[in-house]
Amino acid sequence: MIIKRLTIKNFGKIHDKTMELSPGINVLYGENESGKTTVHTFLKSMLYGIRRQRGRAAKTDAYSMYEPWENPAVYGGTLWFENGGKSFRLTRNFYKADQKNELICEDDGELLDVEKGDLDAILGGVSEVVYENTVSVAQLKSVTGQNLVRELQNYMASYQGTGDSSVDLGRAMQMLKMNRKGFQVQAQKLKKETEQEKEKIAVSMDYVRKEMDRLTEQQEEVYAQEESLQMTREDDGEELLNDRIEQVQRSLQTNVLMMAATVAAVLGVIIVLGGLLPDMIYPRILAGILGVCLLAWEFLERRRLGEELERRYRIKNRWMQKQEKLRWNRESIQESWKEKETALQNLETDYREVQERAYLPLAEEVEIDALNLAMETIERLSGNIHNHVGERLRLRTSQILSEITGGRYREVLMDAGFHMTVNTQERTVPLGNLSRGTMEQIYFALRMAAGELLCGRERFPVILDDVFGMYDEERLAAVLKWLEKEQRQVIISTCHKREMEILEKEGIPYRQLPL
Amino acid sequence: MIRFIHLADVHLGAVPDRGCPWSSEREEEIWETFRRVIASISKNPVELLFIAGDLFHRQPLLRELKEVNYLFSTIPDTCVFLMAGNHDYMKQDSFYRTFQWEPNVVFYQNETPLTVKAAGMDVYVTGLSYHHQEITEPLYDSLKPVQEEGFHVLLAHGGDELHVPMDWKALAASGFDYVALGHIHKPQTVLRDRIIYPGALEPIDRNDMGEHGYVEGRFEDGRVKTRFVPFACRSYQKLMLTLREDSTQYSLEEMMKMDLMKRGGRNIYKVILQGYRAPETLIFPEKLKNLGNVTEILDETRPAYDLEALRKRYSGTLVGDYIGYFLDKECTLVEEKALYYGLQALLETGLPTGKA
Repeated sequence: MIIKRLTIKNFGKIHDKTMELSPGINVLYGENESGKTTVHTFLKSMLYGIRRQRGRAAKTDAYSMYEPWENPAVYGGTLWFENGGKSFRLTRNFYKADQKNELICEDDGELLDVEKGDLDAILGGVSEVVYENTVSVAQLKSVTGQNLVRELQNYMASYQGTGDSSVDLGRAMQMLKMNRKGFQVQAQKLKKETEQEKEKIAVSMDYVRKEMDRLTEQQEEVYAQEESLQMTREDDGEELLNDRIEQVQRSLQTNVLMMAATVAAVLGVIIVLGGLLPDMIYPRILAGILGVCLLAWEFLERRRLGEELERRYRIKNRWMQKQEKLRWNRESIQESWKEKETALQNLETDYREVQERAYLPLAEEVEIDALNLAMETIERLSGNIHNHVGERLRLRTSQILSEITGGRYREVLMDAGFHMTVNTQERTVPLGNLSRGTMEQIYFALRMAAGELLCGRERFPVILDDVFGMYDEERLAAVLKWLEKEQRQVIISTCHKREMEILEKEGIPYRQLPL
Repeated sequence: MIRFIHLADVHLGAVPDRGCPWSSEREEEIWETFRRVIASISKNPVELLFIAGDLFHRQPLLRELKEVNYLFSTIPDTCVFLMAGNHDYMKQDSFYRTFQWEPNVVFYQNETPLTVKAAGMDVYVTGLSYHHQEITEPLYDSLKPVQEEGFHVLLAHGGDELHVPMDWKALAASGFDYVALGHIHKPQTVLRDRIIYPGALEPIDRNDMGEHGYVEGRFEDGRVKTRFVPFACRSYQKLMLTLREDSTQYSLEEMMKMDLMKRGGRNIYKVILQGYRAPETLIFPEKLKNLGNVTEILDETRPAYDLEALRKRYSGTLVGDYIGYFLDKECTLVEEKALYYGLQALLETGLPTGKA
């Protein structure tokens, strides 16, 4: 593409200015603040439209920055350019309330439609960002050596991997990783919470199990007591006690019989004695006394037995009560044991449910998957770009560098860690050991190479915005000669007269653009 | 006229939303709401109370049965029909098997259908109890009411593949005046005034969105009329918050506070963030959890990127390729998220280009 002429009707601080451009080297000379950057922005805005932001950002967007102070309804101009052998005229008015775009092919008078993408088609693959990355070249921004090295390395790395020097792959990946870390921490936290829930249930289960053990122990105790009361063996305790009661009852019965027998016997003896020895009173009295004594003894025995019977009844009652109590104990223990068992089973079900829920995917895991996919995709696409840009870019950069340094620096190298080195004829020099001037040369070579590789078939003009400030005369002359040799349209924008002086001294044709 | 109340899926003993601060409170509320139902019946007695399964969340403990039985004893004029569902199914040693109920309670012991006549009324209720967690046979489809004059009710639990599948057409044609269903937690009417799931009395967990309560009905002149009575003490709700490009964390929190005030602070919310936010605005959804009862937050917002414009602008570079890779295909949810994550990272970490 060759820019032939531009008319700035009203753009920023420039009104009604027309510039005719040569297809070779043009020099846009002006003091600081004289409007050089305005011309650059005008050119870009003509080709890609002017950027308008929404919301808060609108106050500082390009549209507001270059909005004319006077007569803002006229905001734009006209651009004549040649592309693919055809001439075009592009007129735009950026004014937001009255936007107009007119694109005409001057060869056949065909009216083209910017809105429908005709202009994009003419520009080929060069998108706005590619234009920013290749067509317009500004000075390196960094001042100190170390930053300069980093900036240059970044440019090289980004061009190779992304085709866009403004993308910082490393930081982008870092941001995605940080993002992922956040979700991972969150997911971990949730998992831990589930673990804690499980733990809680497990503790309850333990507690219930202990209760059940305790109940079992109590049960054993009750069994032992029952054993000691001979409740469990065949010769039942109750029977035994009944036997003992019966024994006494029998003894009592015997006692009654004995007493009756004694009375009968004594009476019998007295009667017999009365019959045999009617005169002798003493034997009868003796037998009577003997009988009374015997009866008294038996009576005492009866009382003793009565007490014994009472005692044994008491024992039996006590025993029965105790037994009743033990049985009641045993049953209530069994009941609470069963209750605990059901509670334990319920807790086991709870535990299983919590465990099953833990296998469900978390919302955080979806985010983590998405972030992983983003990283993989960026890596893969950047690998693709690196494959078809990376090595060619390095070779072409090396070639240009060699040409503008007269063969002093032959090759630019970059290792896997993105550290750049430069090969001289004899040795390899790290970037940090080079002078600022040389670094600017490498940068220039890189930008030129990128412009060729990224713009595709159609060569675009190159806008060099104050890039030669750090060049000495020898270097400047070499670069300008190289630019002439390349036969590209170049716009050198500068606030020094040096470039023009050297161009004249070297006899290189150029055109000065008035500001 | 015969009045009845039909409820189901009370899930006494359930511990909703384990790990959330309101979990134990909810556990108690489930009991409390059941007590409230009984208290309201005691104040204003109905003839019949149908409890269509899953009264308990797990195997009932003896003391829980005693507590429930006591509650039933406070409504002696109401005949209670009770069955075991798939959650409280009658295990081998279930306390259900030996429990002595109050005289006004009919508990279905068997897994085969049985029709019971309510004492002193021409009401015939057919039902059964689950003895297994899963029953795949359609036990209800072929049932017919007994040949008697009166109000014929089928008390049934399940309706999905693993819990007694049901053929609604067959049930509608079966001749029962009313089919009192349980199992599905969301209230729904299969056939108006005829076949109804009252839903869980209280929502049991975060999936039981919306209103909960019981069904109140009356049988008069051979026809049943029902209405749903919201009775749960709080509900789970979805809260959609739509962001705009000028939304910030603060404005989002204010918006949520307003919505919570309007909808009630006791309710439990699932918050869904929607809409487009400015790419550079940072939102911390986790912080919203402090504003109320929030079970989870889904962030479905997208950075407000004009993808087509960006694709055009960045065509020929990694960013352009990246957008193109995703735009040229049908994106899954993960891919769409990946697109925005990656794009944001590439654009926001970029070196300043210097030129606007």
